[in-house]
This record gives sequence, C-alpha cells and structure tokens, in this order.
Amino acid sequence: MSFSRRTAQLLHEDHQATVAVIESLDQLIAKARKKAPDISDPKVQKTLKNAGGAIEEEISQHFAFEENELFTRLEDMGDVGIGEHLRSEHRALLPLGQSVAELARDALANGFTDESWPKFRNVAAELIERMLAHIQKEEMALLPALEDLLDAETDMELSTAYADTH
Amino acid sequence: MNIPGSFLGGAQDRLLPASIPFRFFLSASVFHVLAWAVLFLAADDLAGYRGGTGLVLAAIHLATLGVLVMTAIGASYQLLPVVTRRPMARNWPTRLSFWLLLPGICAMTWGMATNALGAMSLGSYLVTLGLFVFAVLTADNLRRTGGIPEVSAHVWLALVALAVFVLIGLLLIRDLETGFLADHQGLALVHMIVASFGFMGLLVLGLSLVLIPMFVLSRSLPARPGWAQAGLSVLALTGFSTGVIFDVPPLQWLALAPGFAAAACYLWLMRMALKTSMRKRLGLPFVLMRASWGLLVLTLVMGALTLTNIGIPNGPALTGFLLVAGWLLTFLTGVLQRIMPFLASMHVADESGLPPLLSDLSAEGPLKIHAVCHLAALAACSFGILLDLTLLVQVGAALGCVGAVAFAGSAGYVATKLKRQASSN
Repeated sequence: MSFSRRTAQLLHEDHQATVAVIESLDQLIAKARKKAPDISDPKVQKTLKNAGGAIEEEISQHFAFEENELFTRLEDMGDVGIGEHLRSEHRALLPLGQSVAELARDALANGFTDESWPKFRNVAAELIERMLAHIQKEEMALLPALEDLLDAETDMELSTAYADTH
Repeated sequence: MNIPGSFLGGAQDRLLPASIPFRFFLSASVFHVLAWAVLFLAADDLAGYRGGTGLVLAAIHLATLGVLVMTAIGASYQLLPVVTRRPMARNWPTRLSFWLLLPGICAMTWGMATNALGAMSLGSYLVTLGLFVFAVLTADNLRRTGGIPEVSAHVWLALVALAVFVLIGLLLIRDLETGFLADHQGLALVHMIVASFGFMGLLVLGLSLVLIPMFVLSRSLPARPGWAQAGLSVLALTGFSTGVIFDVPPLQWLALAPGFAAAACYLWLMRMALKTSMRKRLGLPFVLMRASWGLLVLTLVMGALTLTNIGIPNGPALTGFLLVAGWLLTFLTGVLQRIMPFLASMHVADESGLPPLLSDLSAEGPLKIHAVCHLAALAACSFGILLDLTLLVQVGAALGCVGAVAFAGSAGYVATKLKRQASSN
C-alpha cells in the first residue's frame, strides 16, 4: 500500500520491517520444527538478532504512538470499535514480543536447550500469528483512515515527532 | 472485561456488530449444503439443462442467491465502510435486507423446484426488496466515499448489473405465468450472465483489489489495470447481452475479446499481489482462490468453445456449472473461510480479556475436508455433464454436499465461539 499522509507511510514502513522479521522467524520455526536450530548458522543468528531487537523496538514505540496519537483521534470522531480492538491486540502482543526478544537474546548468548527451544517456538508462533493478523487489520482499517483523520499540518507534526523517535 | 464489540453501535463506527455479517455467512453456509443436495436430486437433468423450472433451476438459485449473494452482501456490509472510510448510515436496514432475502430465497427456490408459480413470484418480490435495500445502503455509502475510486467504480457497476438482472428475473417469472416473451431462453441467458459475471463478477474483481493485497501483505496494486478490468467487463457484458437479445452471433463473439482481456487484467493484478507478497505461507484459502482463478479462465474458454458449436457435449450446462460452482463458489468459500475468523476475532475476547488467536477460531479439519470434497465435486460433476453420466454427477454432488456440511460445521464453530462470548458478557 502507499499513502499520501506521511504518518501513514511511516507506520506502513514499520509494518513492512516487522513482517520481514516475523516471516524469517516463521521460516526458522517451520524449518527447525522440534529440533532446535543450529545457533552457529549465520542465518539463524541474523533472525534471532532481529527478533531480539527490532520486534521489541517496534512494539514499544509504534504501539505507544498509535495509542496516544491516533486511536484517540479516531475515537474523538466516533470511530470507537476499531481503535479499541487494536488496543486490545497491543495488550496481547506486548508481553509476547518482549518474551520473544528476551528468549532470542538468551539463545544467542547460550544456545537453545531442550527446554528453551520448545518455549521459544511456542511463544514465537503465537507472536507470529497475532502480529500478522494485527498488521493486516491496521493496513486495511487504520492507515487508510489517517488520510481523512489528519490534516496536512497535523500530519507533518505527528510524522516528524514519530520519525524522531526512531 | 473490555470487549471491543460492546463499544459498537455508534453511528460513526465502521465496525458493525458481528451479528450482521455473520447472519449472512451462516445462511450462505446452509444454502451451500442445500444447493449441492438439490443438485444431487437433479443429477439426471443437469447435463441436458437448457432452462425452465425444476430442481436444476432451484439448485442454481440456491447457489447464486443463497450462497454467492448472501456472502457478497454480508462481506460488503462490513468491508465497504472500511474500504470507503465511511460508516453505514444505519444498521437496522442491513438486518431488514436479511429478513427479506432469507424467506424470499426459500420461497423462490421452493417455487422453482415444485413449479409453484405463486411461491416463486412471492419469493422473487421479497428477494427484490431485500436487494433493493442492499443497493440503497451501498449506494449511500459509496456516495459519501473518500475511499479507493477504482474499487468504488466496480461496486457502482455491480449495482447497475444488480438492477438489470433483477428486472430481467422478474420478467422471466412473469413470463412463466403469461408467456408474453418472444425469447424466454435468450433472456434467461442474459439474466445469468449479468447476474454472475456482472453483479457477482464485478464485486469479486473490485473487492479483490483491496482484499487480496491485505491478505497477502503485498504492495498496493496499480490503479490503471483496475480501471481497465472494470471498463472491459462492462464492454463484454453489454456486447454479449446485446448480441443475445438481438440475435447477432458476431456481436457475442466480439464480446469475448474484452471478456478475456478483463480476466487477463484481473489475473495480472492478482499475480502481482502474490509476487510482491510479504507472506510466504498463505494457507488453504489461497489454494481455493488460486483454483478459482484457473476456473475463471476455464469458464471463459468453455463459453467460447460452446459458442463455436464445435460439438462440446452439453457445453451450455458445463459452462454454467464452471461459472457458478467453479469460479464464483470456489473463490467465495476461500474468502469466507479467511474472513470469518478474522472478523470474529474483532468481537470476542478470551478469559483474560485479550483477543483470541485466529487459529482458535478456525476449524482446520472441516475446512480441509471441504477443500478436498469441493475440488473433487467440481471434477466429477464436470465430467458427468460432459459424458452425460448421471451417476458421476450424483457422486460429484454427494461429494459437494459432504464438503458443504464440513464448511457449515466450520462456520458454525466460529459462530458458536461468538455466541458463547456474547452470552458470557
């Protein structure tokens, strides 16, 4: 998707980056299945490094921005349901993202054990499923709505403030 | 507990109560079973079918009005406000349209099956009123739209096709009572083409421009081929219908060119969406959607071959079957199994107040059974029609029926989760 509002475009680029990380995580799990992946493999290392950094960063900054600056504006317009639902998804995603990031960093430092791999796999699988559905909803219902929700001046203010947090 | 659905109902809210789309989806699931069951009973008449009342006509309308139209209306009511960024003006007329359509389809198809003209007429009036309410609501939403213009254009054109096929449908039923039409069969063909390629086809082509990129997380699709597919579709529909009404075969032939070109634009756009998709594993719904795109091409090729009179056995019946059960039914069951859990997840929460996983709202087993049975049913019925083998059509219809029951089971599973949630709050 492409958007005329800069704020929507920045959030869309965040989504693209997150989907890339989530997809590589998905492939890692699909390929390894029950057997823990080889931590010395550079591809595995790259995926875990991204999972350890990008997801957590995306979740904390991106979610906070949406909740504080966008959902409130949607709700002021009377469009309550979608913002409320996305907020509840954030509540589910936040601990999952933090947990995956923590487990990925631990795996990079110490490798996977028979106990840590199934735990990582289960938490990451839930994160993948929830995150993809969440991004699909935001791409369809939130970002296009910003075209009407934000005037040019507000768009510039918000997008500049958001870009500065990255 | 903080439930998103409980906040709904405001006039400005784009998220409708779950009960609105789901009543259409569940009815479609039941009509789906009935359509295959009636086709099983009509198996002996299917291959040579050239029009007229009876079980075949009832099966066709159970599939088209019962499954395709009900699914399209339920999905449009929820998707259009999101796409156009304008909420529905009121929610109650959406429910009214359902309560007109449901008994209308039942009475109409019963009348068709039993040759009861009174029931058929009564049903057709109710269906017309239900579709009128849908058309008014949709037109009102599009009129206030700030959404994607090429998608809105498809929906506007679909509404024009809706008006045309409903008018012709009413004339055809009136003709059964009075016999005033000079060419009943020709007008019936136009009715079928405008309803399936025009109304349903344009909705499929238009909403795919938004739905497919969203499902696969791809780049946005270019506008020009979107406009081209709409224009070419209208050209093909107008040319073919005019050719049939005024009995000008060369015009029917000429109309095939824009028809194939419209399909080419659509398939190119869908290929582009898949090519730029950020998702690698797209799952079972996309097996059905990809199959439906192949069946669209097969339908057009079979239609062209039938026009040439080169001796394809039972060409008209085979083309109609591939169009309704092949392209449209396969595509819509693929879409439906993708959006039902998606929409349901926006209205339910688990014990901790968080939205459930989509996989917890999907019944994977029954959906796999449906996909296998549906594709096998298409193959068996197609060869049954081609070879004029009643037994093969019966086997296909029975497989279709098993698949439809499994599909209804999965729809019921999602609805039960929704209902359980509603009653626990």
